[in-house]
Amino acid sequence: SRHSTCTGLQPPFSCSCRIMPVRWSRYNPSYLEPEVKKESYQKPLEELTEEEREQMELKAVRPIKAAPPTLSSSVFSDPMISKFTNMMMKSGNKVLARSLMSQTLEAIKRKQLEKYHKAPENEKETIECNPYVIFHQALKNCQPIIGLSNITKGGKTYQVPVPLTDNRKRFLAMKWLITECRENKHRRTMMPEKLSQELLLAFNNEGPVIKKKHVLHKMAEANRAYAHFRWW
Amino acid sequence: LRLICTTTAVQRKNVGAPGPEKYTEAFIKKQIEEFNLGKRHLANMMGEDPETFTQEDIDRAIAYLFPSGLFDKQARPMMKHPTEVFPEQRKIQWGEDGRPFHFLFYTGKQSYYSLMHETYEKFLNVQKHQDQLIAQDLPLQKEKRNLAGSRWLSKIELEEMLLEKLSDDDYSRFIQLLQKLVALPCADIEENYIQKFSKEVPVQLQKVVIEPLQYDERGVAFSTGEGKRKTARATAVVYDNGTGKITVNGTDILHYFPVLQDREQLLFPFQFLGRIGKHDMVCTVSGGGRSAQAGAIRLASAKALRSFVTEKEVEFMRQAGLLTVDPRVKERKKPGQEGPRRKFTWKKR
Repeated sequence: SRHSTCTGLQPPFSCSCRIMPVRWSRYNPSYLEPEVKKESYQKPLEELTEEEREQMELKAVRPIKAAPPTLSSSVFSDPMISKFTNMMMKSGNKVLARSLMSQTLEAIKRKQLEKYHKAPENEKETIECNPYVIFHQALKNCQPIIGLSNITKGGKTYQVPVPLTDNRKRFLAMKWLITECRENKHRRTMMPEKLSQELLLAFNNEGPVIKKKHVLHKMAEANRAYAHFRWW
Repeated sequence: LRLICTTTAVQRKNVGAPGPEKYTEAFIKKQIEEFNLGKRHLANMMGEDPETFTQEDIDRAIAYLFPSGLFDKQARPMMKHPTEVFPEQRKIQWGEDGRPFHFLFYTGKQSYYSLMHETYEKFLNVQKHQDQLIAQDLPLQKEKRNLAGSRWLSKIELEEMLLEKLSDDDYSRFIQLLQKLVALPCADIEENYIQKFSKEVPVQLQKVVIEPLQYDERGVAFSTGEGKRKTARATAVVYDNGTGKITVNGTDILHYFPVLQDREQLLFPFQFLGRIGKHDMVCTVSGGGRSAQAGAIRLASAKALRSFVTEKEVEFMRQAGLLTVDPRVKERKKPGQEGPRRKFTWKKR
């Protein structure tokens, strides 16, 4: 049998932070995140609040990390869409993932435009045609409010209801959408088509992903009795 | 047959390691005298004036007389003042009767603990002053200290100050105590004490010099920039009064970068400054992959655009992350693992 030796990894630079991060980065801990949006730099000084002024002063002194290749100041780059594209990507094929994403958005736009042209005059205003708005709203509708976590107490493992952070909620919503589209589709349907279908259903609070969210909520409600097992 | 001839020194067990060599004051003085004498001899040898022989002259003379091909500069022959060569050490902490001078000697880290005691004493002082002010119903002064312009001493600097080794935990506890002290409203009383442990950080991080514009034969202003990302190296020349044409290695960007993401990255600096149709760019790039080359050209063009733009906008570009070199490179593979992080498949038997 072969032992897999795990050499203790030390970062090559000296870390002045108190808590050693589990995942280390090539940047010094004093580096701050870059702010790419043009609008935040065009605000005049008077409109800023105290916190924003302090933040601005801090930014003037500290070094800033380089902007990643997926981020840009153009109107077409959206951090949520980039995150979703990265989650859809398989074996680093970003070109394919990005093309699938753009095809999905195009498919959504086409379906909505079809509906728009067929609808009578009074309903035309209620139909949302912007695919980005539909995407964001659908993701928001899919996000669970409360999650379950396994806690072992006295030998038995219980499912305990636990609050979720924003990042975790977004991650779960995206993960459910993608797994749903990959598994429950006919062999011949393309991914963009199925994804656009799911997103439109989620936008209207219908569909299997929303059902999954409701099931999770019901389980959390059922296990309310164990909520006091949580210690954090 | 067993070796029986043992010396008395070896017979003594449980002897601790001798530790770093302790230099006496007389020894250091002698070294300083020898250094000064040697400096004058060296000046005579080189034909210079012994009175005005500086440290740089000494370094140059030694490099000339003892040329060395060693890579590590610290390993080459050098002649420096003894205070730089011999690390500052604590003098012996106990008197002739063997009793230590400091009351915290037996803690092992006497300077650290005495520093913590002092700081806590100041903290209690400030609290007492605060209570007095409250008792007299006077308003508490709340001037906000400028946190952005100063930083605390780093662990190494603190170690140098105390002449003692500190652990990370000790250092973080000390910094936490200082932060608590600073957070109190009446901390201005102990401002002198706090200033001993804080250092000024240069307010503007614009240490880089922005080059002025150059003009070519037709009178068109242009500026060059260099950028790198992973293994890709790029140089960009940005011309004024242009139509927004970008040429990479002789080909148009539409042919060189078929992927939309790369073209977006190339246009990012121009779009951020709002100068999309106003500049022409000619760049050369080599090495790396498709995304690395795009990142390298982005950095090069951002650096070139600095000369066309006001200082405020340069600061905005820096805060948007356009002017930082991306330090992320491919992580090395480690022995005993399949890749940088992936371990070999675990087999039970």
